[in-house]
Amino acid sequence: MTAAAATGLSHWTMEYVVKPCAIAGCFVLVALLWTFPMQHVIAYPFVFLFFAAIMGSAWFGGFVAGSIAVALSTLLITYFFIPPFFSMSVAKDSQSFLTAFFVCAIAITVVSSARKRSENAIREAHDQLETKVRERTAELEQSNLEILESDRQLRLLTEAIPQQIWRTDAAGRIEYCNYHLRDYVGGLVEDLYGDGFFSILHPEDAPLFCQDWKKALAAGDRFEVAARVRGADGAYRWFLVRSIPQRSEDGEIVRWYGTHIDVEEQRRTQQDLVLAQDDLARLSHTLSMAEMAASIAHELNQPLTAVVTHAYACREWLRSDPANLERASSTAEKIVQESTRASAVVKRVRALFRKEAQVRDTADMNRLIQELARLLRDELIRRGVSLRLLLASDLPQMKMDSVQIQQVLLNLATNGMDAMMQISGPRELTIRSERYDREIMVAVEDDGPGITPDISPRIFEPFFSTKPQGTGLGLAISRSIVEAHDGRLWVTNSPHGGAIFQFTVRAES
Amino acid sequence: MDKADTARGTLETVFIVDDDASICEGLCNLLEAVGVRAEHYPSAEAFREDRNESLAGCLLLDARLPGISGVEFQEQMQGLGIDLPVIFMTAHGDVPMVRKVMKAGAVEFLIKPFQKEELLHAVEHAFAFDRSRRLEQEVISSIRQRIGSLTSRESEVMAMVTTGMLNKQIAAELNLSEITVKLHRRRVMERMQAGSLAELVKMCERVRSANSGK
Repeated sequence: MTAAAATGLSHWTMEYVVKPCAIAGCFVLVALLWTFPMQHVIAYPFVFLFFAAIMGSAWFGGFVAGSIAVALSTLLITYFFIPPFFSMSVAKDSQSFLTAFFVCAIAITVVSSARKRSENAIREAHDQLETKVRERTAELEQSNLEILESDRQLRLLTEAIPQQIWRTDAAGRIEYCNYHLRDYVGGLVEDLYGDGFFSILHPEDAPLFCQDWKKALAAGDRFEVAARVRGADGAYRWFLVRSIPQRSEDGEIVRWYGTHIDVEEQRRTQQDLVLAQDDLARLSHTLSMAEMAASIAHELNQPLTAVVTHAYACREWLRSDPANLERASSTAEKIVQESTRASAVVKRVRALFRKEAQVRDTADMNRLIQELARLLRDELIRRGVSLRLLLASDLPQMKMDSVQIQQVLLNLATNGMDAMMQISGPRELTIRSERYDREIMVAVEDDGPGITPDISPRIFEPFFSTKPQGTGLGLAISRSIVEAHDGRLWVTNSPHGGAIFQFTVRAES
Repeated sequence: MDKADTARGTLETVFIVDDDASICEGLCNLLEAVGVRAEHYPSAEAFREDRNESLAGCLLLDARLPGISGVEFQEQMQGLGIDLPVIFMTAHGDVPMVRKVMKAGAVEFLIKPFQKEELLHAVEHAFAFDRSRRLEQEVISSIRQRIGSLTSRESEVMAMVTTGMLNKQIAAELNLSEITVKLHRRRVMERMQAGSLAELVKMCERVRSANSGK
């Protein structure tokens, strides 16, 4: 027999023998002791006292203790209180009483112990339930903590990720900005919530941004636009702003998520590239102009050289003694030939330039100016120049060579922009159109240093330029185009220092 | 300029090379009117083919020519043995081109159309330059002739004398008596037609520098 079995057995003995016996013994003894004094007060007190003892034994000791109490009680009652007293025999008339007592006692034991058992079972179940609830609660708390932690981690991620991130509600109002965005825009964070976001965009980009954003909101489409965003230091940088909507299960847009990608460097490189290309284009243009000029000069110089040398020779023939009239005459003939050749060259060059002219159709000056503004948009941004258009609404349609007039506009606008490259601070180019009776006047005004008195008389001369890469032909050609349209082109300095180039075009009667 | 024609047997001529016939004609006409001989060629190749053996005068060269350009031809001239001074002319000269041809020894650079005086000055200048060149060539060739008439022993002695060696040293070097050296030396002076030792040294120097110039 092992020790465990021994303890098991002793436990069993304790539980089902010693403890019930002790409980039953105690209760029955108490009942017996109480019965003796109570006999003098009420009749048959043993009945309820012993029932109470049996009930108590069964309650506290279980069915075994109850049964023992029943047995003990029956024996003691038979001995002490059933006549003949102090004997185990039972009088005939008391037999039914004793039987009834016994049956009742057994019933009480059964009921009481059953009751006790079920109560115990209930308590046990209750306890189990309690434990389970406690366990569940602990689990819930744990998972709650985990959720909180992962939420915190996620937030940390959105805060720490080197990207500017925001979230808006379904209507596009900013609800959240991550650290990098807040850090970039500086102290303006509160202003960003709601529609305030547009206030940090460059004024020139904001309208386009708003328009595209509203379009994206309406269509529920992903959104992507490049715009300049103002930083904490007040400087603007180019960002690629991208946003995608998040939809609920039924397809409704719940919120929008957006990121800003800093593309300033990229933009700058791109602009440098464009600039380089521009320079190259301008250089090659200048080169071809220079080559053309050289070839014209060569073409003219050849006959002129011949004319000059023949003329000198002619004089020498006449001066000689005696004068060689024959040679002088033939030389003079040569001079005529060569001069004719020179003038033919001039005619050819003029024909070359005249070829493109004289294509006139009805055009709207304001439309030409607006087309030019569109054409110049990138260039204006690149040079940091803002363009202001002040267009008269009552301009008449006019017959003109739109291509040439646009050439003039482009030329004046480019000159204005070039002039403003020398100044720092805000640069504004203004193009104005006005009507004077049968004439349209267009003015192009810049914020540059203006025209100094020493160059103003020469400014329309061909091949006169103040720019290192200039051909010196822009204004000369512009003036001849304007004059071909029965107009005038002139320049004045504006009261605020810049130059104003103005030209008129006259309507054909 | 009339005395230009008198140069020993050869006539001083302006050789005009220009692809424009009317310019050639005009220049010839003018030069003829002032009494200067002129010939013209439509290209550098034509001039190279047609030129005479001995040339006197100058070359009036257009910088831009079809085929070999004037600038290229100037570079080739020394290789062809043409020593004529060159006057360039062009309708459009750029600074690098002018610098290049002037560095290569051009006498003048004329921009078309040019004045009569510019041309005649340049031609006169070039002729003078050419004359002194031919004179120098003649002198050198006569010195060379005299050197050629020396015996090999006399040449040896002359070479040593002109480096400043004393008769005694020369005698020791050539294993001769001093008297013999003196005899050779006197014959060298006679045959070279040199009045003094200094003159002899100068003659040798001229030939040497002409040789190294080649």
